[in-house]
Order: sequence, then structure tokens, then C-alpha cells
Amino acid sequence: MSIEKAYILISIFLFLSGLLGVIIRKNLITLLISTELMLNGVNLALASVDKMVGGVEGQVFALFILAVAASEVAIGLGLIVALFRLKGYEGSSEITHLRE
Amino acid sequence: MEGLLILFLPLIAFLVIGLFGSRLGDMASAILCVLGGLFSFLFSLWATTKALQEPFSVKLYDFLPLGNYTLSLGLYFDPLSSITTSVVTLVATLIFIYSIGYMHNLFGQWTFKFYAYLSLFLFAMLLIVLSDNLLGIFFGWEGVGLASYLLIGYFHTQKKAANASLEAFTLNRIGDWFFLFGIITSFYLFGTLNIVEIFSKLSEIDKALLGLACLLLFGGAVGKSGQLPLHTWLPNAMAGPTPVSALLHADTMVAAGVYMVARLYPMFENAPQSLKVVAVIGGLTALFAALAATSHTDIKKIIAFSTMSQLGLMFLALGLGDKVAAMFHLTTHAFFKALLFLSAGSIIHAFHHHIHDIYEAGNLKKYMPITYASFLVGSLALSGIFPLSGFWSKDMIVATAYEASFGWGLLASVVSLLTAYYIFREGFVMFHGKERHHGEEPHESPGVMLIPMVILSIMAVVAGFFEGWYSKVFGAEKEIHLNIAVLSVAIGLTGITIAYMVYIKGIINPEKAYEALKPLHTTLKEQFFTERLYHKVLAYGYLFYSRVLYATAERQLIDGLVNSSYFGVRALGGLLKAIQAGKLNLYILFLSVGFLALLFLTIFWR
Repeated sequence: MSIEKAYILISIFLFLSGLLGVIIRKNLITLLISTELMLNGVNLALASVDKMVGGVEGQVFALFILAVAASEVAIGLGLIVALFRLKGYEGSSEITHLRE
Repeated sequence: MEGLLILFLPLIAFLVIGLFGSRLGDMASAILCVLGGLFSFLFSLWATTKALQEPFSVKLYDFLPLGNYTLSLGLYFDPLSSITTSVVTLVATLIFIYSIGYMHNLFGQWTFKFYAYLSLFLFAMLLIVLSDNLLGIFFGWEGVGLASYLLIGYFHTQKKAANASLEAFTLNRIGDWFFLFGIITSFYLFGTLNIVEIFSKLSEIDKALLGLACLLLFGGAVGKSGQLPLHTWLPNAMAGPTPVSALLHADTMVAAGVYMVARLYPMFENAPQSLKVVAVIGGLTALFAALAATSHTDIKKIIAFSTMSQLGLMFLALGLGDKVAAMFHLTTHAFFKALLFLSAGSIIHAFHHHIHDIYEAGNLKKYMPITYASFLVGSLALSGIFPLSGFWSKDMIVATAYEASFGWGLLASVVSLLTAYYIFREGFVMFHGKERHHGEEPHESPGVMLIPMVILSIMAVVAGFFEGWYSKVFGAEKEIHLNIAVLSVAIGLTGITIAYMVYIKGIINPEKAYEALKPLHTTLKEQFFTERLYHKVLAYGYLFYSRVLYATAERQLIDGLVNSSYFGVRALGGLLKAIQAGKLNLYILFLSVGFLALLFLTIFWR
């Protein structure tokens, strides 16, 4: 098994554990961290596939994703903190305005 | 172009009044309506002079391309249609003018609707008369049905009027059903609906099928003209305003049936068996309605039965092969029957629409001399007294009947006798005798009502003199049979004398006579119980059947099925509810499961 394949396996593991975190955890901050985990899994996959095929587009894309993820975390965290201050919500299951 | 204007002026009047009537006001609407009728009449006079020289047709547009045949609508002007158009528009215009006076106390209460309906009616009627194909006639046929429904039910706050309009519509619908099937049969037989083309193909057609088509078409005429057995709506239609009764239910709409048979007469001539049916229905209705008229006491119903009876005579003439007599009687009848109705309306108007029974009025001669004179002229014309118009036209019918067989002649004579009796009974009771009204004195109607009556009186007197000209136009020279003419006049005078003896001289006390002949009187008054049969047995039976079905099939079966499906729907809903729980985590799970499924599909679906 080459090193690139190992990296891809690691990236899949990262992505799936992030997805699992989103599905089973309820705390909003944990959800945010899990999405970051998924994004980083994707980044790793892009970079290692670049290495395999010898291109640069994937790495450029990964850099963009890093930038988007940083801003997303800033906005998401801001929203969560605002929600907590305003309503006292911590878990995703508490946000049920549209259902009722 | 002028031909189109005849047809479309009333339609334009209808649209303008219908759309802007509430802003124009009722008086302006009425004047528009009258102008529409008047100009239509003037143009139709022009068309008549042209059509008398040579028939011509005006093409409107291609309505429906059907394979190798294109159904096109158009107008056809020949002597028959153009003369009828002139009569219809003249009488209609006069009645429109009259209605300004008659409806005046209702102005300000959305009366513009009334004039919109009247214009719509005139348009539909002219479409029947002028159309050059059966489909156009059918459009007009439905149009007058609709206008009739709206106008009978014009006083829709009265239960009686609403019921009468419904009854008229239902019975007309049965007739229309026959008519529609007649049209379909004709199309099947001839491959065309154009009247002129149909006439040119008549000799190639199987007689039995042609007879069927004729009978179906005649079924439509029976419904529209109030003949047996679809007759009960016509007397009840008198719940509408009097101008409506005069225009629709005496002169034009009910005459559409007679006109249609006359229009398609070559078809009927080629199927002589169907003409026998026409004669029998016409003869029976003439007698039946004349008998019913002798025992009714409603001012307008007597005249309505008289209309039925006269239409029956026209159908009798058609059935015996004398189209000219029928159409000429239709023309003169339009004048004197409109006159009678307008006189009756004048009386009703004088009593502020409160009386409807002839025994509520009496000795009106003193108060309403012009109305009295008009009614007298109308009655004399209806009775067929020389030299008024009714004499000439009725004489032609009676002569034809005697030529056909003695039985038919006797029937026509008996009907004439009854006619003279019942119309003078009404006149003598209302205008002579002692005063029966209470409260304020009746007054003569305003000039706007009297002028149409006077013009119609003149027409009712002089229209008969055109007999020779009319017959020549249709190429049927007829001699006046002196003995039959004398016989008719004598019969008419006998009827008048009987009425005079009973209701003025008082030789027989009418109330006692009615008491003595009560079973007969009731039978006649109930129209041989046909109305009761229709209302109580057919209509009520249908209602009962519907109620039973409602209680069983509707409530038990259909509702039961629907109600039991509730449990299944509820269980399914409970299942589906769980996945729509509003939980973010679940949604993500479904999202990823769906994505995975799609992924597997794209990878392994080869």
C-alpha cells in the first residue's frame, strides 16, 4: 500500500467520523467542530489525490476551502453564541420554532 | 354589412348595458335597448326589400373545420326569414318602449339588468330566425332559453317566479335535448348543417331516417312552443313581468318552434309521417289549451293558454301542409297577442301590480278607455272577426283544416268558438260589470305605454290585408273560401254572444254554473291534471328518489367508505410523521443515506 492510499484512507476516516459526530451529537459547538473535521477530511483527500496524479488544482482548491472554513467557523460560532445568549439554547433539538 | 347590423345591434346594446348599465342609469339603458331594437327593425326592412327580390346570405366566419367539411356560421335572408325578422324586431321595439312605462316604478333598483336581458333575448331570437345552419339556430335556441329563464325569474325574490323560471328551463331543456339529437341526426344524414345544402340533398335520403330526424327536431319545437306534453311551463311563466310575457311568451320565443318547423319545411315535407305527428300534437294542444283557458281566472294565464292554443293551430296548419297559413297566422298573432298582453299589463300597472285575477277588476271601461279599446281590438282579432287581421290568418288555417278532413275542420272550429268565448269572458269581466276594486281608483296608463298599444292596435287591424301579398311572396295563391269565412265569423260571433249572455246579461250565473259542473271545471282548470302529474309525481318523485339515495347510497355507502379510509390514512401519517420530526441530526442522517444510495447507484449501475 502506497503512502497516498494511506492518506486517502485517513481522509475518509476523518470525514466519516465528522459525519457521525454531526449525526449523533446534539451540542451545537460539537456539531460545528464535526463539520470542520469533515472539511479537513476533504482537504486531505484533495491534497493526496493531487500528489497521486501530479496536479496542483486540488491543492489550490484545498487552500480556498481553508479560507471558507475559517470564515464559516467565525460566522457559525458567532451565531451559536448569539443563540445561546438570546435563548439559552445549547442543543440542536431545542431549536424547534418552525416545527411548532 | 347591414345584415350583420340587424343581428349585432341588440348584442351591442346587451354588452353596453350589461357592462356599463349601472353607470348609465336605468333610463339610459332602456333607451339604448329601444334604439338597438329600432335600428335593427329599420335595417331588417331594408333587408326584406332586398330579400324579396332575391334571397341572399351573409357569411360570418368558419366556426369549426371537421375533416373535409367546414362548419361555417352565416346569415340567410329569404322572404321567410326577413319578414319574420321585421315582425320580431317591430314587436320587440314596441314592447321595449312599453316596458319603460311598465317598469318605471322599479327604476333605480338595477332595472338596467332587465333591459340587458331583453337585448340579449332579441339577439338570440334574431340568430334563430336568420341563421343559415342548424347549429346557429341551436345557439339562438339556447340563447332564448337562457334569456327566458332570466326574465321569467326577474322578480327572483318571489318564490313563484323563481320556481316558474326553473320549470321553464327544465322543460325547455328536454326539448333542447331532442333538438340537439335532431341536429346530430341531420348531420349524420346530410353531412352538412347548412339549410340550403340540406334542401338540395333531400331526395337522396332514406325516408325513415329523415322522419326520425324531423321528429327529433320537432321535439325541440314542442319544448320551445309549449305544446303537449311539454306545456306546463308556459302558463307558469306568466310570473315574469308583463312585457316579458308579451315578447317572449306570446310573440317571439314560443313562435320559434313554429318558425323552425316552417324553416325546415322541405325536410318535413319529404317525411310525411312526421307531419302527421305535428298535426296531431298541434291539434290536441289547440283544443286542450282552449279548454283550460275557459276556466282560468288569472289575467295573464288566460292569454297564455290562448297563446298555446293558437300555436297549436299553427302546428296543425303546418302538419296539414299549409306553411303559408301557419306563418301568416304567426305574424298576425304576434301583433294581436302582444296587444292583448300589453292591455293586460296596462291593467296590472294601473293597480300597481297588485291584482292578478280577472274577478278583482270590473267596469274598467270607465277608467281606462284606451286600454279597453286596445283589448277589444285584440280580442276581436283573436276571435277572427272580419276584417281584423286574425280573421284572414285564421280563415286560412280553418280552410286548410276543412280541406284535409272534416274532423280537423271541426276541431279548428271548436277551438275558434272556445277562443272567442274565453277572451271575451276575460274582457267582459274586467271591463264591464260592477266595480270590484277597492281603494284608489285605477288610472289610464302613461303615454309611453299607450303609444305602443295604439300602434299594435293599428297593426292588428291592418296586418290581415297583406294576406294576398304574403301568399304571393311564398308562391301560394289562395282563394278565400266564402262559406268557410262566413262560418268562421259566425262561430266567432257565437262565442262572443255566449260570453256576452253569461257575463253581461247574466242569463246563467257563472259561479253557479261552475259549482254545478265542478268536476269538469276542476279538470279543465288543472289542465287535465297534467301540471299536477308533472309537479307531484315526476318532480316530487324525483326528489323523493334523490332523498332516498342520499340517505342510503350517499350517507351510508360513500360516506362510510370515506370514513373507514380514515384509519389507514392515520396509521400511514403516524409513520411518516416520525421522520418529519424537525431533528437536525435525523435530517443529516437521511441526507447522507440518500447521498450514499445515489453514489452506489452511479457506481454499480452499469
